[in-house]
Amino acid sequence: MSANRWLATGNFFTSYREEQRIFFTHLDRLIFAAFIVLLFAWPLFFELSNKYMLVINHTLIAVVAVMGLNIVTGYAGLISIGHAAFVGIGAYTVAGLATTLGDSHKLITHAWPLMIVLSGCMGALFGAFVGLPALRLKHLYLAIATLSFQMIFEWTIHFMRFFNQGQTIYIGRVHWLTGEVGRSSHYVFWYYASLVVVVITGFGIRNLMRTRFGRSLIAVRDNDRAADAMGMHPGLTKVYAFALAGFMAGLAGALHAYLYRGVGIESFTLHHSITYLAMAIVGGLGTLHGAFWGPVAIEFLDIQVEHLSAWAAQIFPAQGNLATALRPFSFGLVIVLFLMFEPRGIANWWRIARSYVKLWPFRY
Amino acid sequence: MSYFFQLVISGIVVGSIYALSALGFVLIYKSSRVLNIAHGQLIAIGAFLVYALTVWVKVPIYLALPASMVLTFFMAMSVERIFLRRLIGEPIISVIMVTIGLMSILDGIIYLTPFGSVNYSFPAVLPVTPISFGGVSISWTQLVGVIITVILIGGFSWFFKRSTLGISMRAVSDDQLAAMSIGISVPRVFGLAWAMAGLSAAAAGAIIGNITGLNFDTLRAFGILVFPVVILGGLDSVFGAVVAGIIMGLIQQFAGGYLDGQWGLSGTANVLPYILLLIILLFKPHGLFGTHEIERV
Repeated sequence: MSANRWLATGNFFTSYREEQRIFFTHLDRLIFAAFIVLLFAWPLFFELSNKYMLVINHTLIAVVAVMGLNIVTGYAGLISIGHAAFVGIGAYTVAGLATTLGDSHKLITHAWPLMIVLSGCMGALFGAFVGLPALRLKHLYLAIATLSFQMIFEWTIHFMRFFNQGQTIYIGRVHWLTGEVGRSSHYVFWYYASLVVVVITGFGIRNLMRTRFGRSLIAVRDNDRAADAMGMHPGLTKVYAFALAGFMAGLAGALHAYLYRGVGIESFTLHHSITYLAMAIVGGLGTLHGAFWGPVAIEFLDIQVEHLSAWAAQIFPAQGNLATALRPFSFGLVIVLFLMFEPRGIANWWRIARSYVKLWPFRY
Repeated sequence: MSYFFQLVISGIVVGSIYALSALGFVLIYKSSRVLNIAHGQLIAIGAFLVYALTVWVKVPIYLALPASMVLTFFMAMSVERIFLRRLIGEPIISVIMVTIGLMSILDGIIYLTPFGSVNYSFPAVLPVTPISFGGVSISWTQLVGVIITVILIGGFSWFFKRSTLGISMRAVSDDQLAAMSIGISVPRVFGLAWAMAGLSAAAAGAIIGNITGLNFDTLRAFGILVFPVVILGGLDSVFGAVVAGIIMGLIQQFAGGYLDGQWGLSGTANVLPYILLLIILLFKPHGLFGTHEIERV
């Protein structure tokens, strides 16, 4: 431990316990606390239009989902091409209860935090089931299993009358301490709700990675035979990872359902699974803050693509919407370019910037 | 009973197309252990090329098919050269993710062309009246499609059994290091595997396009339907892909013929393969003819 508890120009660890601390210096902790306070406080001073609030909320929900995907793909090293289906499981848990009980039943409008957790548990259940092949097989086969789960999910929603055959199922307005959350405060309310979920799950995962389970996850990814020899159960570890990812996806799905006040299949297709994967890769696989960079970067890219295609449509009036073509193209290009030139993602740029600032004015 | 035989016939037709689609997929997996998620896009591009050549450039269809096969041959080869060559030696997981990205890129490119939004259909070259015997009928397009499939699969088998290039591809899939030590260029074999996959995908796409019409979603779906087929047949077995393709075609037709309408079900043909896939993965993961030495976790 360095003598100065506020600034450290290097690593001064003398024990593993010190190395595992979340915050290394008081300054780190202060900056982080200020950042969290800023995130909570800014809506009190600025008022953004609903359009931008929706984008911000959408990004926060994507952060929750991508944190889950990061557990499976980043920490455990298994490709999941069905993450949107797990998000959909969460959303359709809420929607299913809304169809059976009526969309303004007390359970949905008043006990919504409970509903969010319940959706997470449903996601975990399905995640564990899809991850079961992990008990016997390597990651290639799991990619196929998740892909086929995505297909089965889409079919089930499309062809079951209970789920309105993929058409929108409405969900009532929620209640809070001050009464019903009205139209004007809807987006701000869900901003805070999503932010709380992000902060809780973020700390949860950061701590999880310091525990026995988190470290065995990384050990299994890096060398499963060595992990096996050291007494871990690689298969079960992977199934747990899938369950945990499903839980996070379920949370995101319930938030999505409440934010849009409706659930439809078009938000949980294969295209969205690939978008989540793009977010995880661009952010940086296997890092926690990568799960924040990725969704922000991809949402930003998405908005730019919209602008570009609107601009291009004015110059070359073409039939159809140009954005439907440019969106998959740019997402795919981003995935490929990052994997080829910066496989560690934006999180790596952040790491470089941080170490530069930390050591300044020295080079190293 | 004739209904049953009708289903068997159309099952075999659909199944042989699956076999042809799966062939290219298995080729890539066999030589480089990469799951090509973008295979459906290759199939779609092949089909669209044949259409563009026949209808827009006005090349006769018996020339357009080989021409588009040659074009996709070089396209797939350059895809491998640009995107995948520099990833040799990287973990397989990132190569698979690159193919996922590739799928998105190709999707975007196809959406830019008219094929992304408009459904075309091939001009009828063959007689329209189907051949029928004893209440069972098969259309000329289907018959010719099956014949082309059989010829191509026969050609591929010969290529692997007899030709030097085919044998070197088998050697690489067996043991890369040993293959390198006897002077086989492994990157070239990878490129060739992709090129052959592109070639067979174009043939498959042309046949599917002739039978079902040129709908991008339908063509793309074949790339994903390939997964149940190859898992059933064993990921690295060409023969398995053929057998499993036909089994899967029969299952789909029987599901569509007998299950739909019962208990309010519909569209079971589209989901049954995937349910089957999950079950096979749990109980017999190496499939019917796959190599048994699958690495346990």
